[in-house]
Amino acid sequence: MLKARLATCGFSSRQRKNGVPLREEFTKGIIRQNPVISLTPLGLCPTLAVTTSLKNGIAMGVATTAVLVSSNLIISIFKRLIPKEIRIPCYIVVIASFVTIVELTMQATLPPALNQQLGIFIPLIVVNCIILGRAEAFASKNTVAASFLDGLGAGLGFVLALALVSGIRELLGNGTLWGLAISGRYEPAATMIMAPGAFLVLGLLLGGYNLVRGRGAVSAAHAERIRPASRKPKGGEGVR
Amino acid sequence: MNLSAYLAIIFGSIFVNNFVLARFLGLCPFVGVSKKTDEAVGMGMAVIFVMTLASAATWCIYHFVLLPGEQTGQNILSFVIGNRVSLVPILKNVSYILVIATLVQLVEIAMRKMSPGLYRALGIYLPLITTNCAVMGVALLNTTDAPRHFNFLEATVQGFSAGIGFLLAMLLMSAIRERLALSEVPESLRGLPVAFICAAMMALSFLGFAGILGTG
Amino acid sequence: MEINVIIGPVIALAALGIAFGVGLAIASAKLKVSRDPRLEEIIELLPGVNCGACGYSGCEAMAAALVKGEVDPSSCALIAPDAAKRAAEIAGTGLGQKTKKAAVVLCRAEGVADNFDYFGIGDCAAAALSQGGPTACRYACIGLGTCASVCPFDAITMGDDGLPKVDIDKCVACGKCVAACPRGIIILAPTNRYIHVLCSSRDKGALVRKLCKAGCIACKLCEKACKFDAIKVEDNIAKIDYEKCTLCGACVEACPRGIIRDIREEETRPTAAAAAAAEQVNSKE
Repeated sequence: MLKARLATCGFSSRQRKNGVPLREEFTKGIIRQNPVISLTPLGLCPTLAVTTSLKNGIAMGVATTAVLVSSNLIISIFKRLIPKEIRIPCYIVVIASFVTIVELTMQATLPPALNQQLGIFIPLIVVNCIILGRAEAFASKNTVAASFLDGLGAGLGFVLALALVSGIRELLGNGTLWGLAISGRYEPAATMIMAPGAFLVLGLLLGGYNLVRGRGAVSAAHAERIRPASRKPKGGEGVR
Repeated sequence: MNLSAYLAIIFGSIFVNNFVLARFLGLCPFVGVSKKTDEAVGMGMAVIFVMTLASAATWCIYHFVLLPGEQTGQNILSFVIGNRVSLVPILKNVSYILVIATLVQLVEIAMRKMSPGLYRALGIYLPLITTNCAVMGVALLNTTDAPRHFNFLEATVQGFSAGIGFLLAMLLMSAIRERLALSEVPESLRGLPVAFICAAMMALSFLGFAGILGTG
Repeated sequence: MEINVIIGPVIALAALGIAFGVGLAIASAKLKVSRDPRLEEIIELLPGVNCGACGYSGCEAMAAALVKGEVDPSSCALIAPDAAKRAAEIAGTGLGQKTKKAAVVLCRAEGVADNFDYFGIGDCAAAALSQGGPTACRYACIGLGTCASVCPFDAITMGDDGLPKVDIDKCVACGKCVAACPRGIIILAPTNRYIHVLCSSRDKGALVRKLCKAGCIACKLCEKACKFDAIKVEDNIAKIDYEKCTLCGACVEACPRGIIRDIREEETRPTAAAAAAAEQVNSKE
C-alpha cells in the first residue's frame, strides 16, 4: 500500500498541467501574479521591515525563495502521504525546518552585521503567508516540477518587490545604493529608512500598480454616495 | 518585582515599539481586518488573548525544553542527552510555531464548548492569528531575541501589552479607514494604497515616542 | 559530528509532537461540542454567502438553528427551492410557510425645515454626528441615502421627495438598512401587514405640529378607533402591534393628519396637506 502510494506521488512525467506550459508556472509569479505587488499583497511584514537597504532586501528575498522552493518541493513530493485533516500543521513543520536550515546557514556564512539587521525576520519566514499560501494552494495539488517552478517564480517575484522597495528606500533615505554613494549633493531623508518611509513607499507602489493595471474604478453607486451632500427638500417648504 | 521595569515593558510595547507601527509585525491582519471598527475590535481582542497565552507557553518551552541544563538547571532533556547541546537555535522555530498552533487550536475547541458567546465574537479570527507574525514575533522577542532575560511574568506582560498596542493601532486604522471609504480618494490610490499612506502618518506620529524610555 | 546534536532535537521534537497531538486529541474528544452529523450536509446546501438575511449570523448558525427546529429553510432568502426541500428533509422539519418580511421606513416628513446647511460627507450617519443632524425634527429621515447604498439587493432607492422607497419584491429583510439608519426609523415588518404609522417622532404634539406636516401629535384618536386593541400611543407616538392588527383600516380613517397609511397605496395617497384640509372641514362640521 505504501509502495503504491509512493509510486503515484509527484513524479509525473507530464510536462503540462491543464495545458499550461511549465514555463508559465515560473513566469507568472514574477510580474503578473507577484505575491507582494498585487491586489491582495502577502508577505508584508518582511517587505516593510528589512528593506532598509538594497543588500538587506535582496538577502531576505533570496532566503525566502530558498525556503519557498524547498518546501514546495517537499510538500509536492509527499502530498499524497499527508492526511487532509492535519495538512496545515504538517506544512508548517516542513516550512519551519527549512527556515531553521536557512537561518543556520546564513548565520554561518553571511557577515554578522547583515544577520543582525535582518534580526527576527529570518525566523519569521516561517509565518510568511506567501509560503504557506503557495503550499496550500499549489504544491499540494500539482506535480513536483510545476511546484518547483512555481516556488521559484514566486520567490523571484518577491525578490523583485523587495529590491524595488529597498532600492527606493535606500536611495532616498541614505543617498546610497548597495552601499555606494550616488550623489554627493543629495541630503537624505532619514524617515525613508524608518517606519513611515516603508509604509509610504509601499502604498505608493501599490497605487502605481493599480494605475498601471487600470484598477480602482469605483462603482457608480459608490461614487454617488461619496459626492458632497445635496439633500433634497422634504416635500414642501420649510415650516418656521 | 521592579515596578518600573514592568511599566517600561508596558509602555514600550504599546507606544514606543508598537508592534504594528514600529516593529512591522502583524501587518496582514492590520490591513485586512481593519475596514470596520467592530471587526477591528474583535480581531484585536483575539490577538491580545492569543499573544498573552503564546508568550506564556513559549517562555515555558524555552526554559524547560530548549535551554541547556547548565544555564538554568531546568532543562528536562538534560536527563537524556546530557547538558552539552543547546537546542535553542535548532528547535526554536519548529517548537514555537507548533506550540502556538496547538494553543490556538486548543483555545478554539475550548471556547466553542465553554463560551459560545465569546466564540461568536472572536472565534472566527482565531485561525487567522495562528500564522500571524505578531504572535511568533512576540514569542521570539520574549525569549531568544530579548534585550535581557525576561522572567515568566515579564514575558507574559510583554505579550499582553503587545496585544494592546496592536488593538490600539487597529482601532485607529479602522476609524480612519471608515472615513476614508466615504472620501474622494484618487482612483488608483483607493483602498489599500491610501491605507498604507495613512499608516505612514500614524507611524510618523508614533515616532514621537522614540527615546522616551532612554536606550530601551 | 556530535551525535547529541541529532538525537537531542529528534527526541525533543518527537516528545513535543506526541504530547501536543495527544493533548489535542483528548481535548477535541472531551470538549466535543456534539456536532450533529446533519449539520455538514445542511451547510453544503445553504448558499454559504453569510448574508444574515435569515436573521442568523451566517450559514453555520442557520444550519444549527435548522437542525434544532427553530427555523425552516425557507427563511433563507437565497436558497433554491429544491435545496430548501432537501435541507428540510435532512433536518427533519417540515417546510413551512415563509413569513416574508420587508423593510418599512417610518417617516413621511413633509415640510421639515433644516436646522443648518450641511456641507459634508453625503452619508446619513456622518450627518447625524453633526449636532444631532440637519433636520429640525430630530427623528426625521435625513435623506442622504445611506440605507439605499448599503442595501445589497438594490431594494431601497431615494425618491424625489427625499425619502427612501422600498421595493417589497426585492427586499429580503436582511436588516442592513435597519442597522445603517442613524435615526433607527427603519423597521422590518411582515409584508402581509401593510398598515403602518409613518412617523417616528417622540416629540410632544405641539412641537410636532410646528416641525412637520406629517408628524404624529399623539392625539389618540387611532387608539380610540381601534376595536382590536392593536394600536397604542406611547411616548408621544402611535405604535401598531402587528400580531393583533386585523387590517380593518379604522385607524387610517381616524388619523386627522393622515399619518397611518396602507403602504401598498403609496402612489395614490393624499398628501398631508389634503388631509389637514379634510381635518379642517371635519372640525368645522
